[in-house]
Amino acid sequence: MKSLIRSLWVSILGLLASVPSFADLKVATSLSDLASVARLVGGKHVSAQSLCPGYADPHFVPAKPSLMKAIQHADVFVSTGLELDAGWLPLVLPGSRNPNIQQGAKGFVDASDGITVLEKPTGTVSRAEGDIHPLGNPHYYADPKNLEIVASHLADVFSRRDPANAAEYAANAKAFQERMESSLAKWEKAMAPYKGASIVTYHPNFVYFADRFGLKLFGTVEPKPGIPPSPHYVNELAESMKKAGVKVVVYQPYYNADPNEQVAKRAGATAVEVATEAGGLPGTDDVFAKFDVLVSSVAGALSGKSGGAR
Amino acid sequence: MRLRMLACLFAALLCAPALATAQTKSMFSNLANPSIGMNALFSGQFARNLNQPYGLQFDEAEISLISVVDPYWTLVSNFVFLPDHTVDPEEVWARSTNIPAIQLKLGKIRGTFGKHGLLHTHAFPFIQAPVIMANSIGEEGFKDAGLEAAWLTPLPWFAELTGGVYQGIGVDDDHPLDFGSSRHDNVPFLGHFKNQFDLNNATTLELGQSFMQGRGSDADLHNAFGADLTVRNVPLKNANRRGWVLMGEYLQKGSRVGGAYHQEQHGGYASFQYRLSQVWWMGIRGEQARDCTTDFLFDSTVPGKVTRGSVNIAWMPSEFSFVRLEYSRANADDGHGAKPTDDRIMAQLSYTIGYHPAHAY
Repeated sequence: MKSLIRSLWVSILGLLASVPSFADLKVATSLSDLASVARLVGGKHVSAQSLCPGYADPHFVPAKPSLMKAIQHADVFVSTGLELDAGWLPLVLPGSRNPNIQQGAKGFVDASDGITVLEKPTGTVSRAEGDIHPLGNPHYYADPKNLEIVASHLADVFSRRDPANAAEYAANAKAFQERMESSLAKWEKAMAPYKGASIVTYHPNFVYFADRFGLKLFGTVEPKPGIPPSPHYVNELAESMKKAGVKVVVYQPYYNADPNEQVAKRAGATAVEVATEAGGLPGTDDVFAKFDVLVSSVAGALSGKSGGAR
Repeated sequence: MRLRMLACLFAALLCAPALATAQTKSMFSNLANPSIGMNALFSGQFARNLNQPYGLQFDEAEISLISVVDPYWTLVSNFVFLPDHTVDPEEVWARSTNIPAIQLKLGKIRGTFGKHGLLHTHAFPFIQAPVIMANSIGEEGFKDAGLEAAWLTPLPWFAELTGGVYQGIGVDDDHPLDFGSSRHDNVPFLGHFKNQFDLNNATTLELGQSFMQGRGSDADLHNAFGADLTVRNVPLKNANRRGWVLMGEYLQKGSRVGGAYHQEQHGGYASFQYRLSQVWWMGIRGEQARDCTTDFLFDSTVPGKVTRGSVNIAWMPSEFSFVRLEYSRANADDGHGAKPTDDRIMAQLSYTIGYHPAHAY
């Protein structure tokens, strides 16, 4: 009996010893790009997970109770802000019963703070225009420059929550910005020949990308945000693309490929599946890899040499 | 010089009203106003054996106000305007936001009992609530003033234990449970245990058990028991286009008379909902309720066995509106020779404006 109790204790101690050492800060985010930036800024002191994987639509994350459990002990929660996560975060955050990350608490971060927001409605906000975002277009993470702002913001938050490693967070944020600047120069060079070219997107989530790289947004496959296209609208859009010579349709992996391909086929254009969120497609594991693939897919499609990542 | 001073004075005079207006506006800021939303629900019912005219009718309009109160509380309220010109403060409760692992709800609340009983009318998966609901805890669940504490346990999966105490309340149209004793020790209470497991990235399993008890106006103890199971599939890559929900629930109402348990109304349902596309849903449900009353039994006061099957299809052009068409066929047996059947076709329209909080998973 004694030997049984002894071996039980040994097993328990062994189990305890095998528990991996925890990071200094546990970070959760509502977007995979934000988790990627948090990992790069936090380094070995931060563990970060996104509640929305890159291949899922950040507007429509099922508010599973398991997500509440996943952030019960988070030190920091990074929301995309601008109401992109408004359809599910108001359930998940209170459901976590974690006072540290509720809106207004020290561990809650709105990553859109400091971002120059595009497409802010100026007149009356009406759902006659579809499922619009009243605070402006929330897909700012499609512009590499905006992620530099997020990195700096996260370094400040991590430093306040974990002052012992503040110098490391600041250095990591600086390194992130330098790497982003040099990568951006490379991406701008790749996109330079297509400045002024027009593309069609499924949803208005390429606005910041187009603004950064000088593309023109000809239209969207959705007639209005959140409203699926009718066959009549698909025909109409394809006809107008044909007349204007628009040759590229881009859409994310979480949208239905069919209407995008129908529009492209009827317009004599190419439909390209691209990831605007890290992890959306193979080879896009972090934000740098995401932009590498995104830029090469869009540039490839505009050059007419490649069908993109699909 | 004098001319410049006069110009400055003139400009200051011109600006003064504007400054005054700005100050007046800031005194009555509306920035902290609550989020406001409204849902309106209409329906039409075509049933040959009901003494009701056909046509579209107004069911209810629900106005919701939600706001953070201070760093400690959020207030949630739903006021329902009914066709009989009454207003029901269906839910008015405060929720704690700063207690680790525990969420307190206090006020007039929808008791955390079962699965269907937690749904608002416009979120019912079928137009008609299951027959057992109105015969056990209430067609729209158990609603009463009280206090609930929901503890998110430290188990590695989502396991929530809820305990609640409520104001004693007698039987009425909304409350089939008799908790109407005026004894001081009549504090109806509730226990609920909910577990949710991720079977994979897309599929979840949810199990719930509920129990509620209070003392009735007859001085006996009255109680209700419930068990529910939900398997839900929402593929993350197609979260707004594909998915299905398989749901089943059993409810039982009873009382303890002279130390012996006496089973009263009991029954359950099983339903399957399937999302056909971004805008189309369909569903099928089977249910049985025993010792229950329903609107098509010849004598609606004599309980019997009711068996019903329903199918529906819903068109949801956006997140803010839907139109549903539903057919149901039911049989009843009151045990005294009456065995009526009921066929009905229903249509329902729902419209939401303003802010509407996401429905629970």
